[in-house]
Amino acid sequence: MKHKKFLALLLSVLMLATCSVTAFAAGNDVVEITYSYWGTPDEAASVQAVADKFNSENDHIHVTVLAIPNEEYTTTLNSMAAGNQLPDCGIMNENGVLDFAADGLLADVSSMYDGAASMPLDSITFKADGAPVAYSAANEILFLYYNKDMFDAAGVAYPDPVTPYTWDEFVETAKLLTLDGNGNNAASPDFDANNVVQYGANVDNWTWQLEVWALSNGGRWFSEDGAECLINTPEVAESIQKVADLYLVDHVAQFRDGLEDSGIQSTIAAGNVAMATGGTWNVGTCMNNVEFPYGVAPLPVMKNEVTICTGGPQVVFAQGEHQAEAMEFIKWYTKEENSWDSLIATGIWMPILEEYYTNEELTHKWVDNDNFTMGYDNFKTSVVDYAHDYAVSTCWYYVPHTNEFLAYLRSILGDVWTGSTTAADALNAGEATLIDIFNGE
Amino acid sequence: MPKKTKHRNALLRSENRTAYLCLIPSIIGLIFLTYLPLLEVFGLSFFSWKGNGFDTFQFVGMKNYVKLLTTDPYFKESVAVTVYYTFIAVVGSMIYSLIIALLLNRKIPARGFWRAIFYLPYLLPAVAVYLGWNWLYNINYGLFNFIINRVFGWPRVGFVNDAKLVAPSLALVAVWLSGNLIVIFLAGLQNVPRTYLEAAEVDGATSWQRFWNITIPCMSPIIFYNLLMALITNLQVITPALALTKGGPGNSSRFVSYVLYQYAFENRKFGLAAAVAVMMFILIGVFTVILFATSRSWMFSEGGDD
Amino acid sequence: MNSLASRKRQEKIVNTVCFVLVVFFSALCLLPIWWIFRSSLMTNNQLFANEVPFFPPDWLFSNYPKALVNFPFWRYLKNTMTIIVPSVIAGTVTAVLGGYAFARMRFRGKRFLFVLVIGSMFLPTMVTLIPLYIMWTNVFHLNGTYWPLILPYFCGGGAFNIYLIRQFILTIPRELDEAATIDGAGHFRILISIIVPAIKAAMIVVALLLFTQMWNDLIQQSLYIHVEKKFTIALGLSQFKGSLKQDYSAIMCATCMSFAPGIIFYLLGQRHFVEGIVLTGMKS
Repeated sequence: MKHKKFLALLLSVLMLATCSVTAFAAGNDVVEITYSYWGTPDEAASVQAVADKFNSENDHIHVTVLAIPNEEYTTTLNSMAAGNQLPDCGIMNENGVLDFAADGLLADVSSMYDGAASMPLDSITFKADGAPVAYSAANEILFLYYNKDMFDAAGVAYPDPVTPYTWDEFVETAKLLTLDGNGNNAASPDFDANNVVQYGANVDNWTWQLEVWALSNGGRWFSEDGAECLINTPEVAESIQKVADLYLVDHVAQFRDGLEDSGIQSTIAAGNVAMATGGTWNVGTCMNNVEFPYGVAPLPVMKNEVTICTGGPQVVFAQGEHQAEAMEFIKWYTKEENSWDSLIATGIWMPILEEYYTNEELTHKWVDNDNFTMGYDNFKTSVVDYAHDYAVSTCWYYVPHTNEFLAYLRSILGDVWTGSTTAADALNAGEATLIDIFNGE
Repeated sequence: MPKKTKHRNALLRSENRTAYLCLIPSIIGLIFLTYLPLLEVFGLSFFSWKGNGFDTFQFVGMKNYVKLLTTDPYFKESVAVTVYYTFIAVVGSMIYSLIIALLLNRKIPARGFWRAIFYLPYLLPAVAVYLGWNWLYNINYGLFNFIINRVFGWPRVGFVNDAKLVAPSLALVAVWLSGNLIVIFLAGLQNVPRTYLEAAEVDGATSWQRFWNITIPCMSPIIFYNLLMALITNLQVITPALALTKGGPGNSSRFVSYVLYQYAFENRKFGLAAAVAVMMFILIGVFTVILFATSRSWMFSEGGDD
Repeated sequence: MNSLASRKRQEKIVNTVCFVLVVFFSALCLLPIWWIFRSSLMTNNQLFANEVPFFPPDWLFSNYPKALVNFPFWRYLKNTMTIIVPSVIAGTVTAVLGGYAFARMRFRGKRFLFVLVIGSMFLPTMVTLIPLYIMWTNVFHLNGTYWPLILPYFCGGGAFNIYLIRQFILTIPRELDEAATIDGAGHFRILISIIVPAIKAAMIVVALLLFTQMWNDLIQQSLYIHVEKKFTIALGLSQFKGSLKQDYSAIMCATCMSFAPGIIFYLLGQRHFVEGIVLTGMKS
């Protein structure tokens, strides 16, 4: 019998060990809801500040924020959905919105802007079969950042804030700004491409951002109604090849593997690249810390003036018990005054309501502050006006399965960046699979 | 006499009961965490399932396997990449750890200290190791490219950016991590009977002859064990892809495990992912069987070994 | 006589060469760790500059408190230990129980069960990942908790560990337990008073193996833990890289911090590890 006693003792020790692992929070009358977000730690702190503000103003709902890593966001939410564990609401990664909507995991958002003076921009409205399923919480467009000190040192004029460079002008300018260890620039015959100390340009090749160059070059990844995949065309291939050639042929850019968003922080913000393309959020997340004066300009143009816009949408998930409360929080959150100080005035988010782009009084309210160090006029002409006039939706606003599509595209472009294949060959080889993924097979 | 048998039977019965008591956890584990899941994964591979509720299984027969072996954009290449990586990692870490173990087996000062140094990498969290090595490998700012480009003036090398180099580069990290193999080899070397070596020395055998004809045969069971474990571990490699390369550039680090992960948890094609798992089971099984089959010809047995 | 002296001298030369090689290789082995540490003490702009110093110019230990803001190391460590401590204890205990039964007891189906145990040693864990995920997620609804990471270790602690313990127990002379049996000790008394003290080294090896296994199990942790508050060190590190992108100075700080627990764990039990692993080598 002794061994039984021992076994009982053993089991109880094991039980104790495991019980001590779990702890439960006590409940009360306040409805607890969870809000999930992604982003850089700076953005995370801002989101926390917004939630704290809501909690202090509101006594029947308490919001807890859940941080989920950006790169695994869609995967993680998929996994949570399968386990019936989605948060009550959250910001959604753009590449999963339409798939979530198709699976019935998003609550109806039609009442979100009831009574608002102005509707969100059409370009940042997610649509399935033409009907809105979600609205981006912020507008983000791509444009060009440049380091004024490097332009001054090279004696090159700043990019024009209104008229973009043509692609060739852009490459030529970048050559003048690319310097080797002996001080020769990339346009000089003595230039040593193996000993570069300052690069002229970085065009971010993070996969989704490449769509803008297809549009700029007169091509499209998908037809405008989202019904057809048109990615294997000479225009698209040429647009990708031009980006790759900045490193391979022109020697004005560092190598980038296109696996992640690395465009700004390790290039222009680190002070070793003169011009870099990137999204608006960088104004508030990393360019706010730089020690040199910088300016902004529209993206260079291959054939058409264009930029793409994006922004994660605020959604209520259709699994939770507290969808009404979640909607109340999301509605509160999307009122611009509530995210103003931490997100909009800092430059991380651009407002989503059209009036901020058309009514200059409101533009002043938004841009006229110290966070926009490039100055009101520069930002207004190069970003605000450009966003209004030339921004088109990124594909995930109207095409499903973009998560998988972009992952595969990223994998076939890997060899293009290193120069072991051409963009045209890579697209030819990958076309069938890309179309299968597009068709949901 | 009958009384004694009865007593013996009672003892045996009690021992039977006690044994099963001890084994309950292991039996539960074997059934529910090992063999039942193995059957399930075979079963699941004939279905299409998106992970939403158990009423949505769709029987598709061999379709998942046909897709993997014909139109699938990742699978075939992933097998090649995995085998390639495993080959370099296994051969590299076996040679490296055997050499280090042989060196450490000599009479050198502070042996324990040096052994600890070589063992150290094995104790570091894998994600941290890959993050650190990624920085060393960085094409623009890494240590290696500093030496290559800034010191020697050669073109930069994309260790983890160049499709041709990423598998060897990641395998080098695996070699660096093989501290546990060194310690096991070292233990084996200390077990090689001194009398054999001394006898051979008296007979005038050179150190190479002694190494090749005595040390290696005596070590062969340990070499076999290390080889087998390194093989099984490396064929399942996923952490570098998960933490670092996301399978890229291109498909050059898209290991079979990563394809499985991608299909199951990113794309929620559980049936297809299960088929990948079954193929992986077969792949590892084939290598294990080959290793066992060939081991008879080279593994030295002392006869009385357990 | 002469030849013996020359041989001795030769031996000495070989030993010296070996020593030099050992020092050289261990320097190579430590170089990555030094480089990571050195990078953690520099600013990003220093890291992204054209000059690449071997020693950090300013030894910025202040990077560490800064990195802790975005990489709450202590919380991640606590979470990791919440998983590891019960699992290591349970895994070791159940492995000892299983190994003991196989080594010392006669029971029906022993051969069959033992074959099952050995067979599962060769079964790749990736193969059963999906069914287990479905079980924990869709059947038990435990996705999002630590249970799917902990509970498996209450079930035998892995076939290899059971096997290892069995092999060790087989080396203990049976006469010892037989003597105890005559004194009236039951199986569990023998286990506690005779077997366990004799296999302490093996148990520590098992604990170490379990520790490193969980420490590095990024894939399972990422399948079951989604919320930053519950992150382990492995998850925190991979997320940290994702969210900070190119803030290498902070990433290297986080990497260095996460190196510490393993090293401390090793230093604490070094004597036993080495003894145990030496024995492991002999047994395998």
